[in-house]
Amino acid sequence: MSAIASSDRLTAWLNAVLLFFAGCVVMIPTLWMVLSSFKQSFEVTAYPPTLFFTPTLENYVSLSETTPFLHYAFNSMVVTTASTLLGLILGAPAAFVASWTRITWPAVVTLVARMAPGTLFLLPWYVMFRQVDMIGSYWALILTHAVITMPIVIWVLLPFFDNIPRSVYEAAQVDGCSPFRVFWRIALPLVTSGLAVSAILAFVFSWNYFLFALVLSNSDTKTLIAASFNFIGEGSTNWGALMAAATLIALPPLVLAVIVQRWLISGLTLGAVKG
Amino acid sequence: MASLSMRKLVKKYGDFTVIPDLDLEIPDHEFVVLVGPSGCGKSTLLRVLAGLESINGGDLFIGDQRVNDVPAAKRDIAMVFQDYALYPHMTVRQNMAFSLEMRGMTREEIAGRVERAAGLLHIGDFLDRRPKQLSGGQRQRVAMGRAIVRNPKVFLFDEPLSNLDAKLRAQVRAEIKALSQQLRTTMVFVTHDQVEAMTMADRIVVMKSGVIQQVGTPEEVYETPNNLFVAGFIGSPAMNFLPVTLGDGRARLADGRALPAEILGSGLAPSAGSGEGLVLGVRPEHFAVAPNDADALPVTVDLVEPLGSDTLVHFKLAETDAIARVSPDLRPKPGDTLPLIPVRGKALLFEQESGRAIR
Ligand SMILES: Nc1ncnc2c1ncn2[C@@H]1O[C@H](COP(=O)(O)OP(=O)(O)O)[C@@H](O)[C@H]1O
Ligand SMILES: [Mg+2]
Repeated sequence: MSAIASSDRLTAWLNAVLLFFAGCVVMIPTLWMVLSSFKQSFEVTAYPPTLFFTPTLENYVSLSETTPFLHYAFNSMVVTTASTLLGLILGAPAAFVASWTRITWPAVVTLVARMAPGTLFLLPWYVMFRQVDMIGSYWALILTHAVITMPIVIWVLLPFFDNIPRSVYEAAQVDGCSPFRVFWRIALPLVTSGLAVSAILAFVFSWNYFLFALVLSNSDTKTLIAASFNFIGEGSTNWGALMAAATLIALPPLVLAVIVQRWLISGLTLGAVKG
Repeated sequence: MASLSMRKLVKKYGDFTVIPDLDLEIPDHEFVVLVGPSGCGKSTLLRVLAGLESINGGDLFIGDQRVNDVPAAKRDIAMVFQDYALYPHMTVRQNMAFSLEMRGMTREEIAGRVERAAGLLHIGDFLDRRPKQLSGGQRQRVAMGRAIVRNPKVFLFDEPLSNLDAKLRAQVRAEIKALSQQLRTTMVFVTHDQVEAMTMADRIVVMKSGVIQQVGTPEEVYETPNNLFVAGFIGSPAMNFLPVTLGDGRARLADGRALPAEILGSGLAPSAGSGEGLVLGVRPEHFAVAPNDADALPVTVDLVEPLGSDTLVHFKLAETDAIARVSPDLRPKPGDTLPLIPVRGKALLFEQESGRAIR
């Protein structure tokens, strides 16, 4: 046995251990959530948690009877899809220009804005949107959620654009492309996997962001995740319904991730551009 | 098709001056090769011509249009990049059609031109493949195809052969030359390889540190180099340089031995000033083996490199390493003594200090 083979085996083994722990961290809460959503209310909070039980759809029925769940889901879809698109429309050209000119400080500014606590924006935005009478409108949510989506798009795409050989851009210029054409006809088609990755990440983060919706929406435009807070606190928490809601909320991002996982992986590891 | 004209051109990157002050006229239809060591600013100059870099001073004309402020897209110039820079997401056909599409040509016209260029370069068989599916040599052809479909005013080539293996390089070199004679478009070809420069150029421009050292036909730069740099750069193996002093109709080497002044071109001896601080330049092929010549200097062979067609002999002459190119029939061996003398009229003379050729 050579030293290389045994160190290979060690690597494989460590990988397995890592995967196991990562799996535990991700899977146990998810599993607990999904299982709980099919339990009867009293069983949800039972300690120790029951693993074997008679599944029931009771929580889902009560969810759809007591809340306009589908309406909230529709709101979430509208806000998330539109803000993801807006993020792409603004972020992709921004990332391209930052990569081309090597001027990245504006991109850093967006990142800082993204990392600042959302509460920082809340009050000014509330005042601003009220003055233009947009509180409770989809647009207020879509525009503010672009603060979530755009930095993601920029920072995911930046290395993809950087990875395109400069001479390819230059050849396009010599071939008669304006800078916009270089972006549209050359750069963008070369970063499709990056676009997929950034779109999914933007979608998920926007979908899961509740703070802005809590303040800037009304009962008509409330997003799913913001609405789910209704289950907490009002007298007693309906854990069963909350789990059912949480399961349904988690579904779209999960489905998306599964559909595009091949792109996601090749995109996250780059390497799709060269050749 | 157009001439190119650079007048007092200056190019800087920040504080770093790449091209301090450059004047060059390239007439219509000419194939010019820019040659010089790596880092001397050849690519920079080519990119300036293409419009990919702005200039910090002087003027640039294509034809009679001043193009200082004309972007690359509007200069109607085609460029072949060192790494080919093909569009990875497009097929060969689309790569070639792209620039025509940008110029708003009709489908039929584009198809016709692509077919013609593909035929010229023998790439018709893989028009529907992507760059990734091609060999290096095929990519190189596609890069040229993308340039020639355009029928541009000027072709620019930035070391397009440097990524090919030696055999392919020689073949493509000949093809590019044939192509240039067929197309008759003005071409500027950049290389650090003096063989490429010699074999392809109508005129060679030798550069060093952003400054043009000499402009001339391959014969001119080879036979009458302007200075020590050009003399040493053009030709392989490089020219031998031997410190000499002139006097009494003799050229005296550092070790006191002398050669007759007739080895120098047309009566140089009198014009050589004091006769001090001079360098004798002798190309390896200009050493003759002359057993019957009383003036020949016996040298001891250190090393022998047989090339087949001829043989390179390394030796020391007056403490200086030198190389001679001799007939392979001589079959010299290390340790042998050869009587060598520079061919009469072929040796050159330079000023040690300034490097300037004396003629
Ligand atoms: N974008 C740049 N910024 C700063 N310096 C550069 C840049 N491009 C080239 N240079 C410098 O300019 C000089 C000439 O470069 P280049 O034209 O590429 O040389 P060559 O093609 O003759 O090898 C080099 O010293 C190089 O380091
Ligand atoms: Mg170069």
